[in-house]
Amino acid sequence: MATRAPAATGRLLLGFRKWYYNACGFNKLGLMRDDTLHEDDDVKEALRRLPENVYNDRMFRIKRALDLSMKQQVLPADLWTKYEEDKYYLEPYLKEVIRERKEVEEWAKK
Amino acid sequence: MKGIRPLNHLSRRCYVAARRSSLTEPLSVNPRNAPSKPVFQPQDIQVSKLPSGLLIASLENYSPVSKIGVFVKAGSRYETPDNVGLTHVLRLAANLTTKGASAFRICRGVEAVGGSLCVTSSREHMVYSAECLRDNLDTVSEFLFHVIAGPEFRPWEVSDLTTRVKIDKAMASQCPQIGVVEKLHEAAYKNALSNSLYCPDYRVGNVSSDQLLSFVENNYTSGRMAVVGLGVKHSVLKQMGEQYLSIGRGAGVPGAKAVYRGGELRMQSSDGLVHALVASEAAVTGSADANAFTVLQRVLGAGPHVKRGANISSKLSQGIAKATTEPFDATAFSSTYSDSGLFGIYTVSQFDAAGEVIRAALAQVTAVADGGLSAEDLDRAKNQMKAESLMSLEASEGLLEEVGAQLLASGAYSSPEAVLQSIDSITSSDVVNAAKKFVSGKKTMASSGHLVNTPFVDEL
Repeated sequence: MATRAPAATGRLLLGFRKWYYNACGFNKLGLMRDDTLHEDDDVKEALRRLPENVYNDRMFRIKRALDLSMKQQVLPADLWTKYEEDKYYLEPYLKEVIRERKEVEEWAKK
Repeated sequence: MKGIRPLNHLSRRCYVAARRSSLTEPLSVNPRNAPSKPVFQPQDIQVSKLPSGLLIASLENYSPVSKIGVFVKAGSRYETPDNVGLTHVLRLAANLTTKGASAFRICRGVEAVGGSLCVTSSREHMVYSAECLRDNLDTVSEFLFHVIAGPEFRPWEVSDLTTRVKIDKAMASQCPQIGVVEKLHEAAYKNALSNSLYCPDYRVGNVSSDQLLSFVENNYTSGRMAVVGLGVKHSVLKQMGEQYLSIGRGAGVPGAKAVYRGGELRMQSSDGLVHALVASEAAVTGSADANAFTVLQRVLGAGPHVKRGANISSKLSQGIAKATTEPFDATAFSSTYSDSGLFGIYTVSQFDAAGEVIRAALAQVTAVADGGLSAEDLDRAKNQMKAESLMSLEASEGLLEEVGAQLLASGAYSSPEAVLQSIDSITSSDVVNAAKKFVSGKKTMASSGHLVNTPFVDEL
C-alpha cells in the first residue's frame, strides 16, 4: 500500500468512490446521502437543528423519492444527484450532537 | 450498685487528676511555638482603568467567598425599535453554549464547585455575577467570561428559550407593581427608557440568534463594561480583564437620549385594588438634584420602617388616612437614569376610593412644595436615607451593585463617607424645589385595576 504513489492512490480511490456512489442508486431518485441516514436519536436531534430552508429541501427530496418509488420509476438521467454536487449538510450538526452526547456521558461516568 | 459506679468515673477521675494547675491563670504557652495570627488590615476599594477602556474595581474583604460582577451598558434602553424584547432573551440566554464551553459544561461546571452564575438586567445595565469559594475562582470566572465574551446563540438553543420567556412574563403579570412601573416608563418616554424589561407579546419567539449576536457585538465592548470583584486581588482581576474582556476596542453604540413626553396608560382589569403611579420628570443619576429627590421620597414616605407597622411617619399615609377610611398604601417612587429620572407617588387603593387617595397623596406633595417641610422631617428623612444606603452596602450584593453602577455612571467610586456628606448637604430649600419641580412638571400616569373611579392625568 505504501509503495504506490499518493496521487495514484487518490485517483484510484476517487474512481472507486464515484463508482460506489452511482451503484448505491439513491442518486437516481434525486436523494443526497444525508437524506438516507437512518433516523436514530442523534440524527433526529440534528434534524431538529437544521435551518428551515435546508430542512424544507430535504423534505421535498424525500417526498419526490417516495413518489418515484411508488410509481416504480427513476428520475431522468440529467436530474440524478452527481457525486460532486452531493453536500453532506447534516454532518456538522450530527457531529455536534454526538459530541454533546459524549460530553454528557463522560460527565455521568465521573 | 455502689461498687460499679467508681469504675464508670474512672476515666474522668484520671483526667481530672492530671490537671494540676487551676484555670484562673492563663496557660503558659511558649511564645516561640504559638502560631502567629495573620493580621488583617481593612482594605479600601481599588479602581483602575485598562487601556481598552475597561473599568476594574476590587475590594479585598477577606471573605471565604469571592464574587465577581461584570456590568455592561446593555440594558433595555439600548434596544432599537426593531429588536425590542431582545434584552429579555439575552438575560435568559446566559447559560447557552459559548465558544469555550457548551451549555451543559457551564451548568455542571459551576454546580460542581458550588458556585453560582446569574444575570440581572435593568433599563441601563446588564449585570453578570458569579460567586464561588475563593479557591474555585478560576473555574467560575472562566465560565463567566466565556458567557460575556464568546456567546454563540445557536438558533435552536435560542428558540428553546421561548418557553422560559413566556414563564417569565407570566410570573411578572402576577405582580401588578411590575406592570404599573413598566407602563409608566412606556408612557413617560418616547424612546430608549420606554422599552420594557420584558419581551412584548408579538416578539416572543421572534427574537433571532442573528439579532442577539449583533446586539452583543455592538454593545458588549470594553469601553462599556466594568468588572467588580469582592474577595479578589486587584492584580488578578486586572489580568483577567485584559485576557478575556478585550473585546471590541471601541466605545460602542451610544444609546439614544431619552425624551420625556408625559402620557398616560390605563390597564383596565377586574382587580378590586387599583395600583396607580403618577410621576413627573426628575433628576439625573449623580446630580445634586437626585439626592434632593431621594430625600423628598423619604420625607413623603418610602415603605414602612417597622414590619407590619402602620407606617405612621409617612406623610403620604397621614394625608391619605384623612381622606379615606378604606385600606390603602402609598409610597413615593423615585428612579434615576443616566440622562433622566422619574419621581412620583405610587398608590394602592380600593377601586371606589382610588380618586380620593390619589388626590390626597398629590396634595401632600403640594404641601411640601408650598414650604410645609419641618426641620424635623428633613432630619428624619436624611437619617433614613443615610441608614439605608449604609445598610445596603453591608451585604455583598448591595456593595457589588453600588460599585458597579457608580463605575459605569461616573467612572469612579465615591466612598460611603462622601455619599453621607452629600446627603448631609441637602437643605430644606433643595427638597422644596424638588417638590415644586414635581408639582409643576408634566405628569405621567399609569394605573391598573378597576379604573371606574380613577381620575385621568389631566384631571389631577
